Parts: sequence; C-alpha cells; structure tokens
Amino acid sequence: MKILLIEDEKELSRSITDYLQNENYLCEAVFNFEQAIEKINLYHYDCIIVDINLPDGSGLNLIRALKENKSETGIIIISARNSLDDKIIGLEIGADDYLTKPFHLPELNARIKSIIRRRSFGGVNEIVFNDLRILPEQMEVSVNNQSLVLTKKEYDLLVFFLSNKDRILTRESIAEHLWGDEMDTADSFDFIYTHIKNLRKKIMEKGGEDYIKTIYGMGYKFTDQ
Amino acid sequence: MKLLTRTSLSYIFISGVVFLISGLIFYNLLHNIFKRQLDETLHEERLLIEQTINYSDSVPDFRQVFGHLIDVTILNAPQPKTGYIRDTLMYDNELGTFASFRHLFAENTSIRNKGYIINIYKPLRDSENLIAEIVISMTLVFLTLLFLLIIVNYFITRRVWIPFYRILHNLSKYEINLAIPLELVKTDIYEFNLLSQTLDKMSKKIRLDYLNLKEFNENAAHELQTPLAIIKSKLELLIQKENLDEMQLQLISAIFEATTRMSKLNQGLLLISKIENNQFRDLGEINLQMLLDKTTEHFEEMIDHRKISVSKNYQYDVRLNMNPALAEIFITNMVSNAIRHNIIQGRIDINVMQDYFSITNTGQMMKTDPRDLFERFRKSGNNPDSVGLGLSIVQKIANLYNMKVEYLYCDGLHTLKVSYI
Repeated sequence: MKILLIEDEKELSRSITDYLQNENYLCEAVFNFEQAIEKINLYHYDCIIVDINLPDGSGLNLIRALKENKSETGIIIISARNSLDDKIIGLEIGADDYLTKPFHLPELNARIKSIIRRRSFGGVNEIVFNDLRILPEQMEVSVNNQSLVLTKKEYDLLVFFLSNKDRILTRESIAEHLWGDEMDTADSFDFIYTHIKNLRKKIMEKGGEDYIKTIYGMGYKFTDQ
Repeated sequence: MKLLTRTSLSYIFISGVVFLISGLIFYNLLHNIFKRQLDETLHEERLLIEQTINYSDSVPDFRQVFGHLIDVTILNAPQPKTGYIRDTLMYDNELGTFASFRHLFAENTSIRNKGYIINIYKPLRDSENLIAEIVISMTLVFLTLLFLLIIVNYFITRRVWIPFYRILHNLSKYEINLAIPLELVKTDIYEFNLLSQTLDKMSKKIRLDYLNLKEFNENAAHELQTPLAIIKSKLELLIQKENLDEMQLQLISAIFEATTRMSKLNQGLLLISKIENNQFRDLGEINLQMLLDKTTEHFEEMIDHRKISVSKNYQYDVRLNMNPALAEIFITNMVSNAIRHNIIQGRIDINVMQDYFSITNTGQMMKTDPRDLFERFRKSGNNPDSVGLGLSIVQKIANLYNMKVEYLYCDGLHTLKVSYI
C-alpha cells in the first residue's frame, strides 16, 4: 500500500508516517503543494492524506487535480480549520473523508483502512483476525464461523480495534471514534468499559478468544500476543 | 423622568418659590407704603384740627369734613404733649362688624392754654382692598407669564434637544458586532456636534479593539491547534512503545487527558469565535424532529446505559432555517447536556411546539446561579472534566438565528426552552 502524506507541519508529518509505517504501509511525506503535485503526477498512490492549508496552495486544488486525472486514489482531508465549508467543498469535489486536527492517529489509521477496503474491488474485502471474520459491506461478524449479533457501536468498536491491532487505544480515541468530538469524553469512559465488556462477552460466548487487553488507566489493546 | 419634564418641573418649582418670596416682600412693601400714606393723612388731619382748635377753641363736627370717626375733647387744664399712631380693632358701623382701624391719638395744649385730646380713626378697609386687588392682578399676570414661559421653554427645549435625542437613538441602535458604523448627527449646536464626534471616535476605537481582540482569540485558538495535534500524536506514538511500565503509562495518560481537554476547549472557543464572526453562512432547511431523533439515536447507548427514559412530544412540524452544521451542534449540545446532567433512571422530555421546543431532564439542583449558566466556563461542580462551553455555544447559535434560550427549573426538572421568533 502506498500512501502520500501532504502536511506542512514537519513534526506532525513524522508522527503520522511513524504510526503508519508500523502498519506496513509505504508512506511518503511531502511538505508543500508543489512537491505534492510532482508526486501525484509521477506515481500512483492508494491513498493520499492532504492538509488543506499548505504554504503554497490549497489542498482542495490538489484534490481537483487528482480528480481531473480520473485517479482512483482515496483521499482524506486533514485540516486544522474545522471550517465546515472546507469539509463540504472537500467532500463535494471527491474527497473520501475529512479529519479535523488534532485527531487521534488510530482514527486516521482506521479511516485509511476503511477507504482502502472500500476501494479494493474484487479483492479481499473482509477483515480476518484469527477466528474473527468481518464483512464490512454487510456489517457482518462471525466467530469460528458462527455469526455474531452486535449493536452498531459494538461493531464500530470491533472494527476500530481490528484496524489498530496490537496498538494501545486510549479511551479518548475510542470515545471520539464512537461519538464524535462533541461529546465530553470523561462522561463516556465508564460507558466504554461496559461496551467493551459486552463485546468481550459476546465473542467469548461463541467460543472466541479474549483479545481485548485492558491497559490500566490508559485504554485498551486488541492483540493475540 | 424625561429631560423635558424635568426642566419644566424645575422651572415651575423655582418660579413658584421666587414668586412666593417676592410676593410676600411686595405685599409688605405695599402694606407699608399704604400705612405711611394713611399716617400722613392722619397727621394732616390732626394739624388741621389743631389749627382749628388754636383758632377758635370750638370743635366743629370733623366727621362731616373728613367722613370718618374723629373725636375731639377740649379740656380746661393744659395737657402735656403726647401722641401715637397704631392699629386697633373697632366696631365698624358701616360693616356691622369689628374691623381694623388706624388710630391716631394726640394730646396737647392749645395757644389759649387749654388742653385737648384728639382721636382719629381711619378704616384700613379701603387700602386693604386695594392691596388685595393689586396682589390678585399681579398674580394673574405672573401666572400667565409663567405659563407662557413654560410653553415657550418646552418648545424651545424640544427643538434644541432634537439632535441629542437623535444621537441617543443612534447610540441605542449601535451594535458592536455589526459592521454598521455609528451614524453621525449634524447640528449647529456646538456641544452636540462635539458629543456626536466624540462618540463616533469612541465607537470606532472600541470596535477596532473589539475586532483586534476577536482576531487575537481566533488566531490564538487556531495557532494552538497545530502544537496540540503534535503533542497528541507524539503521545500516541509514545504509548505504543513496548517497554513502558505502569507508572510511566499513568504519567502519559494524565498528560494525554489534559491535552485532550485543552484541545476540546480550544475547539470550543474557535467554534464560538467562528459563530460570532458569522462564518457559517450557508443556510438550509432543518427538520427539527428529524434532527432531534437522529441525535437521541446517536446517544442511544449512553441513554440506555444510564437507564434514562426519553419521551418525545412533537406537536408541530417545525422547519428551521439554519446552517446544517450549526444546527447539529446546537441540538447535540442540548441533548448531551440533558444526558450528562441527568440522574440514573432519570427522564428526558422533548417537546416541539409551534413557537418553541424544549428539552427537559431530571437532575440534581444546580449549585451555580442559573443566570450564569450560559456563560463561558460555567460548569456544575460534579463534572470537573467538562469544558463548560456547551451551553455557551448553544446560546451563541441561538443568538445568531434570533432564537431565545431560557433555562427553567421546577421540581427537580431542568428545562432548556428555545423559542424561535
């Protein structure tokens, strides 16, 4: 998987590439509009992550350029301006997703995975992890070939975990993933706990393994190690 | 009290006092003049009587001559020379009652060495009548004058103060967050011109300061986003490290939580300044019912988790013309507020009426003053982690669309009522 990151803030760019490299993505980072145009004209990427406010141009124009080339690349906008106009314009001209800075890295990772999944027509459009199997299009989950009935939030939670396996997910990032950033996170912590308890119980009832590890005071980790 | 009423009243009061005092002085003066004149006449009459006595020793009927009471007595023995004039009460035959008289008494010895006593009584009635007439006519003249003065003053003042009232009117219409400048009032009255110009200068300065402050707020919030994003991302990378012990994880967790709070705070402030700057211009038709349903559905698990029962009462199909994103924030904040401040097994009632909608929730009594509820950073004591911007944002959005938000409390029920005008 090749990913192009266009972000002028170097430290943020490094954090993102660091995180994504662990997911076995080939992540290239450029820091301005000009370099980005050069890259997208030369190479093909599965997904580009673009900041709207670049020192020498607007990320929106980059998206327009991509779309003119009838590119199939998935596009995620990241922007400090949580200006909703940008969001609407961005999505209108063909971006697949929009993230507001500051965002959680696992969130970005989950969004990238979701986009790549949606774009891989004919390919393996399913998430498999040991005895767990998810068909994202049908929103179906099975354990040991037994289908699992999950609520919408439990499903979202499971997909979020599987997109970031072997990583510690903070309670904040889980809360934001499930309820968006308008919710005061502190309220939802004990609620996340119940959700995870239920999810665990449902998986184990079907004979699945308990992959969710609690990291005390911090969050959770989905892992089989 | 209006300026005009005030000046008119002062006018009447002061004129009244002045008139009363000057009236008294005038009355006394008049009284004295008349008395002096009366006394002079009395003396003249006495002289005449004395002359007659000196001349003839006989006493003619002076009463016939002067028309008032004169009593002259001739004595055989000489008398020492004395005399006085004073007021006295006497029975007045003409009036048939007691009345004031001026009384002259004189004793002397005539040339023929005979004593005589003269008593002259002159009624004060005539002069008193005269004084009364004079005072009455003066009062009438004064009152007419006063009345005219007040009327004239009223109209002149009203005319003169017109620019002032215009300035006042413009000033009351002026709103600092609108780009419309304070309207200047042109007038030929120096002071009002000065006032108008000074106010103009002042309002421009205040507006400039206001804009600078707003810009600063927005820039500060905006510029904080990037460093916050960096801190968060670095922390997220840090916690993925394998060899962290529990102590270190807890430290990071504390930093992480603080950073999250700060970034939420920042986003809230940024949102408020964006609303204030009217940066959400796109309007759309919002189906209030649908939005309320969507939002409660979004928080469904949270509502179930707290065992809260939600009842909806949609009486009217309400469409609001709002920016869709703001409408969502608006309703989300209100609903999440009702969930957050609720009790376990509580209740949420949502009512949509023709001219208002309300969200009522059970909850503990508030410790803060309800009037401060919509202020920034106002939070109830039991939720230290909340940022305290939610209702302030609700209010800002409501203001933007000319809606009125009220907080009502009754029997453990908290209600947020939004009236769309």
